[in-house]
Amino acid sequence: MDISKELAKNQTMLLLMPGTEYNHIIVDNMKKLKGKNVCYVTLNKTFDSLKELFKKSKVKTDNIVFIDAISKTIKSVPDQGEGVYYVSSPGAMTELSLTIDKFLKHGFDYIIFDSLTNLMVYESKAPVAKFVASLVNKIKAGKTKAVFYALSVKEQNALIEESGMFVDKVLDMDK
Amino acid sequence: MAKKILVVDDEPDIRESVKAVLEKNGFKVVTAINGDDGLAKWKKEKPDLILLDIMMPGTPVREIVPQMKGARIAYLSVVRTSEAEKEDLMASKNVVDFIQKPFDIDELVKRVKKLVK
Repeated sequence: MDISKELAKNQTMLLLMPGTEYNHIIVDNMKKLKGKNVCYVTLNKTFDSLKELFKKSKVKTDNIVFIDAISKTIKSVPDQGEGVYYVSSPGAMTELSLTIDKFLKHGFDYIIFDSLTNLMVYESKAPVAKFVASLVNKIKAGKTKAVFYALSVKEQNALIEESGMFVDKVLDMDK
Repeated sequence: MAKKILVVDDEPDIRESVKAVLEKNGFKVVTAINGDDGLAKWKKEKPDLILLDIMMPGTPVREIVPQMKGARIAYLSVVRTSEAEKEDLMASKNVVDFIQKPFDIDELVKRVKKLVK
């Protein structure tokens, strides 16, 4: 699946992935978006871990700005570093939302949200769905394209179905 | 006497399955639903080992661990960290292992046995 082709037709997408292929798919997607300005929101891998993964996979990160909502939960980090902004935790949805807003104003080509599954650790379905709806509305007001990642797991079918209503396309990589 | 393990995880499935498997292997198991609950149970139960999920709602684990002075903690982590970050996390005196989720249950039992020997 070529994510850049799908995004040429759809402004917002929900990408469902099997856990076993997760790393492979996120790396592959970043390769497809080579040269584009990307805002990458991570809720399950630290910025350092992602940088390590992308470097190992020869993905250039010069055009990527990261919003890392994980590192502050496990170590002491400043509010921002080179190419990265840190948010308190994946559960700090207002802070996360405000930080993403700032980036949307900068006119990034793409925003990658990795992932909705992790938001569910902290919040129930209703606030997460509301967060997705609000974020999609803001994205629709501009030209930035967005990809939401989620694990294709049975336990989160309800969230997936609800979030799927807000985006232009749902792609299940498991099928 | 059976060794006591405290399993701290916000995911009920993980908590209960790890508890069942460890009990089957002769351990006494106490569970807690988050870091604060884990801290309270640790004070009360004085377990031989704590299996502590690294990402849970409530007080961050990095604030809980220093309060568990003298405890032996093995992190259970769904969060992917860099090698350097893993080393930093393991640098705490009371952290004795770092177990990446998803884990193989037999491997987990093997590691727990080794850690409480």
